[in-house]
Amino acid sequence: MLRMDGFTFKAAASPEEAVRLWHHHEGAAYIAGGTDILPNIKHRIESPRVLVGLSKALPTGWCIEHGEVVLGAGTRLSELASCSVLPALATAAGLVAGPQLRNMGTLGGNVMLDTRCLFLNQTAHWRQSLGYCLKAEGTWCHVIRGPKTCVATQSSDTVPILMALHARIRVLGPNGERELALAELFRFDGIHNHTIEKGHLITHVIVPLPPSNHRARYDKIRTRGAIDFPQLSVAIAARMTGTGEACVADSLTIVVGAINPLPQAVQGVEAFTGRALDDATVAALGALIKKRCRPQASTHGDPAWRRTMARITVERGLKALRG
Amino acid sequence: MTATAKPAHSVPAQVLQVHVNGEPEVALAPPTWTLLEVLRYKLGLVGTKQGCDKGDCGACTVLMDGRPILSCCTLAVMAQDAKITTIEGIPPRVPQAFDAAGALQCGFCQPGMICSAHALLEVNDCPSDREIRQAISGNLCRCTGYTKIVEAVHLASARPKNERSPTPMVSSAPADGLRTVGARGRKPGALDKALGRIPYTDDIVLPRMAHGRILRSPHPHAKIVSIDTSEAEALPGVYAVMTGADLPTPFCIIPWTPDEHALAPDKVRYVGDGVAAVAAVDEETALRACDRIAVEYEILPPVLSLDAAEAADAPLVHARDWKGRARTSNLCKEVALAFGSVDEGLAEGAASIDQTWFYEGNTHVPIEPHCALADWSSEQRLTLWSATQVPHYLHRELARVLDIPQAQIRVIQPALGGAFGGKSEPFDLEFCAAYLARKAGRPVKILYTREEVFYSHRGRHPMEMRLQMAADAAGHLTAVDHDIRIDGGGYHSFGMVTTYYAGQLLTGPVDFPAYRFRARRFYTNKPCCGPKRGHGSVQPRFSFECGLDELAHKLGIDPIEMRRRNALESGSTTVNGLFVPSTGLQECLDVVARDSQWDRRYGKLPFGRGLGVACSMYISGTAYPIYPNKMPQSGVSLLADRSGRITITCGASDIGQGSDAMLAWVVSEETGLSPERIVVKSADTDLTPVDLGAYSSRMTYMVGLAAQEAGRAMQAKMRDALAAHWGVPADRIGVGHGVWFDKTDTARQVDVHQVLILAETAEGRPLQTVGGYRTRDLGGQYRGGSIGASPAYSTTAHVAEVVVDPQTGIVTVERVWVAHDCGRAINPLMVEGQIEGSVYMGYAEALMEAQVFDERGLHTGPNLLDYRIPTSIETPDIIAKIVETIDPGGPYGAKEAGEGPLHPAIPAIANAIFDAVDIRLRQIPFTPDRVLAALRAADVERRV
Repeated sequence: MLRMDGFTFKAAASPEEAVRLWHHHEGAAYIAGGTDILPNIKHRIESPRVLVGLSKALPTGWCIEHGEVVLGAGTRLSELASCSVLPALATAAGLVAGPQLRNMGTLGGNVMLDTRCLFLNQTAHWRQSLGYCLKAEGTWCHVIRGPKTCVATQSSDTVPILMALHARIRVLGPNGERELALAELFRFDGIHNHTIEKGHLITHVIVPLPPSNHRARYDKIRTRGAIDFPQLSVAIAARMTGTGEACVADSLTIVVGAINPLPQAVQGVEAFTGRALDDATVAALGALIKKRCRPQASTHGDPAWRRTMARITVERGLKALRG
Repeated sequence: MTATAKPAHSVPAQVLQVHVNGEPEVALAPPTWTLLEVLRYKLGLVGTKQGCDKGDCGACTVLMDGRPILSCCTLAVMAQDAKITTIEGIPPRVPQAFDAAGALQCGFCQPGMICSAHALLEVNDCPSDREIRQAISGNLCRCTGYTKIVEAVHLASARPKNERSPTPMVSSAPADGLRTVGARGRKPGALDKALGRIPYTDDIVLPRMAHGRILRSPHPHAKIVSIDTSEAEALPGVYAVMTGADLPTPFCIIPWTPDEHALAPDKVRYVGDGVAAVAAVDEETALRACDRIAVEYEILPPVLSLDAAEAADAPLVHARDWKGRARTSNLCKEVALAFGSVDEGLAEGAASIDQTWFYEGNTHVPIEPHCALADWSSEQRLTLWSATQVPHYLHRELARVLDIPQAQIRVIQPALGGAFGGKSEPFDLEFCAAYLARKAGRPVKILYTREEVFYSHRGRHPMEMRLQMAADAAGHLTAVDHDIRIDGGGYHSFGMVTTYYAGQLLTGPVDFPAYRFRARRFYTNKPCCGPKRGHGSVQPRFSFECGLDELAHKLGIDPIEMRRRNALESGSTTVNGLFVPSTGLQECLDVVARDSQWDRRYGKLPFGRGLGVACSMYISGTAYPIYPNKMPQSGVSLLADRSGRITITCGASDIGQGSDAMLAWVVSEETGLSPERIVVKSADTDLTPVDLGAYSSRMTYMVGLAAQEAGRAMQAKMRDALAAHWGVPADRIGVGHGVWFDKTDTARQVDVHQVLILAETAEGRPLQTVGGYRTRDLGGQYRGGSIGASPAYSTTAHVAEVVVDPQTGIVTVERVWVAHDCGRAINPLMVEGQIEGSVYMGYAEALMEAQVFDERGLHTGPNLLDYRIPTSIETPDIIAKIVETIDPGGPYGAKEAGEGPLHPAIPAIANAIFDAVDIRLRQIPFTPDRVLAALRAADVERRV
């Protein structure tokens, strides 16, 4: 069996204590559900000296405050899957991995999910055989075959829909808390695709309450009906009126995930608002998506096929949203 | 190059308090240990299993505060405040329903599966199929195809929550004129396996036991220049270190071709080839010691494809053969045979095809990783517990490689968590555990990681198959010509047999008058291929059955009708000389045509939806044992006594397929004793008569006949004793259910228990009988003519219904109708389970599984996240029907059921894709990108 070695465990009772513990211990890492970090430790991708336990530190559940849904970062994905206020987010949470993992993994953990790659998430022996990679112990990206950029995949299921819903995150650091748009959390760097400093902790995810004419959906492409990470994910959120080809979107956000380190809010889709989303317009939008999205071979599935799937998934998603 | 030595720092153990199954428990373990490790290795709660190392398979599922979680990805320190429920704490309702429904095959994934099912029923007491499939979608099962699991959850939901009484062992009437055979029933011991009460190999703990790890090569092809183990040996907690030089005798499952060593002595031939092994106080220390072994390699160019292997200037994977002769090429084995006038037949046909197919390799993925535990007595007797399906062959090879007499070795196969051919030869861990245990002077256990299971492989060979065949205008085949290249990987394994099987097993149930094949197996620098369920013959069945479909379309003949017109008849001999006593092809086709409404729907469904048919034939054991001898292939011994019980001992390996139950059914049939009163002790070389093992679908036929012989001998002793007691002729004694009676006065009855007492009294010594299966001379009168020859053959037909999304290329297999002729179904519940599991595995090969290697020789994902085996969600509905073409030679007419039903799945799906969207796919798996590319190419063709 793959065994772990070399760390101690410190449970935190509050977010503040967690942040304090992290900064007090060299080589510290957070652990909430553990479903991401423990396999990484087993693979020796990460070798923390101290794990700071968040199970009792983070707020759980959600409430509505000032027209916004405030979700605790410690909320389990299986609970989130029944969040009726944000049904598209609930769908996304319900599509993460399998039932057991959803009972373990948290919203915060899913947002902060480390980037993944076919050349990274393997055993120490396998990675040694490869000669390691840019993200861990090596100097070469085997996906793009170069020494400069790591394109490991951002594979979270909740992030694309949260971005499409214009979510913000509340982050606690040693000097207090701040809020930022979730979209600002990410950058195109598979090694560290997060902009917040290490040791800073997401405590809440805040989503504006959707207006009455709001429609949203999340679609995940994967080989199996469970367990798999996305080969491609598409979140669409819009304010819409009308149905069928007469449907008009006043606002439209499309986020494509699992193609590279960055969950991509596709630029240019706002040009398709304010006019009928007829089939031709939907096809034009699909073409735009295909033009803008370049899936990397860092996750499974032929990149060209995944690119086609981005177009098709957006077209079908929009048609379904039109009703 | 030196293996990287990553400094690991151990942390002291601490006291952990966990609340398990209603009891507070205390364990001393490091904070790095998962809940799974603490449950299994500290608290002895071994019902919770481990399958994938890291949260991909669900075998480790336990309930935390009532909700299923993965204990392998939960730190035990984090579980201290929760209430944990393991399989040992689950009430009997759900496990008993699993048992009653026949959902327990190997039993290894079931503790986790049952936990998930129990949790579902706690919140939803009447779940739908869909809800059940969702709830168990994180629990991978490799045996059942999930069909009977879903039925079991329904069954459990219909029972009272506090139900505790077990269902009877036998749950339906037997076949007409028989006492037990033909009755559906539970498997003896299955429930206890699923509850953690019968140990699998890794569940066994011995005093002073050490843990071993094997250091593996990071290179696909390299010379070992030097190995320095001094740093490893100096590490505190290390008991013994070994290298290839320590066990220089080569081995192989086929005695003629020993080309493999316990550890590579001078050269590594694939990424993952073992080079050194360590035994230490725990796995962490053994791993740290492996990190400290310095191996200097001289890297050689690897051979990674068939073309590369066959190239004139190819590097040689093996420079010498097993006799020390220099090799000139990478050809491992070539077989070329011809029967009848092939060229004339091909030329004369009204229609012909000439196409090339490629069957990608894939692997078994038993949920239980290989594990071996070795212990030496003070008299230098070795006991080896191993997750093997061939204890006898392992016994022989251990003696050769360790250079000790066989009589000094005891091999025990504990409960086995799935095999499918993946545990049917000796592996490095068995030799290494034995050697390290001797050197360390204490028991040593080695458990493979999931990555190591992928490297040990012995799975489906990649095959490239050029098929030419022709038929006359009436659809009668005139000739078949197959040219096959086989990618064998680094070693021989069963390679010679594989190469023969690729050609020899194709000649039924569709008959043809002229046949030629050439099969060539090549060495490459990849893990060694071997026998996976349907050894050697699944691949050519794909090309043949697809080719047959193409020919039918060319001739305008319905594909089922095409098969009917060429059907082999019972009692005939195939073109290559295989005598087929019984075959039920027509009946199987009747069933699947009727169930799928073939005549009304084939060729008439809307674009995107299609039906496809395929059929196959498979052996029930091979005529000859792997090493030539005239001794019985199988032995069964019965010991009855005054307690009213019969104990069966037999070397046969129950790998989840139910051979123990089959033994109990047969002896019950002969003695009238109910299966509850029959104890089966199998696969222990100190105690059980030799059986050659679970391979080539030989169990029901060969072990069944041996058991029948022993049972009949027991019946005769019992009959004589009762006849003497009653003072009537022996032929007046009748055998019934639990009672024996006077045929002329059926009211005159006596309990079978009483008959056993009478018989033991009359015998004057323990009441024992034995039975054996003796090899018969079978097959064609030519070199190799006996390979593929079997005393009986099963027949299968499939119809698959698929939906193909023409925009995305995604193929959904909605359902598979399968009819399998297994002769007499001794226990139909178990036969159905074998059929369903076979269809599942074939479906998986068709759509998603592939054991592939990149240009460096690296496996593209040796884990259960990247190598995707189907979950309960996408696995199709499987409608399994049994056809009973009573075989004249089998026990009660029985034939095999474990491997044959897999074969047609792949071509049936391919042919259904053609019916749906008019494309011919000639390479598996049928991934969406391939399907879409083929659709686009076809579209371009149509436009042109």
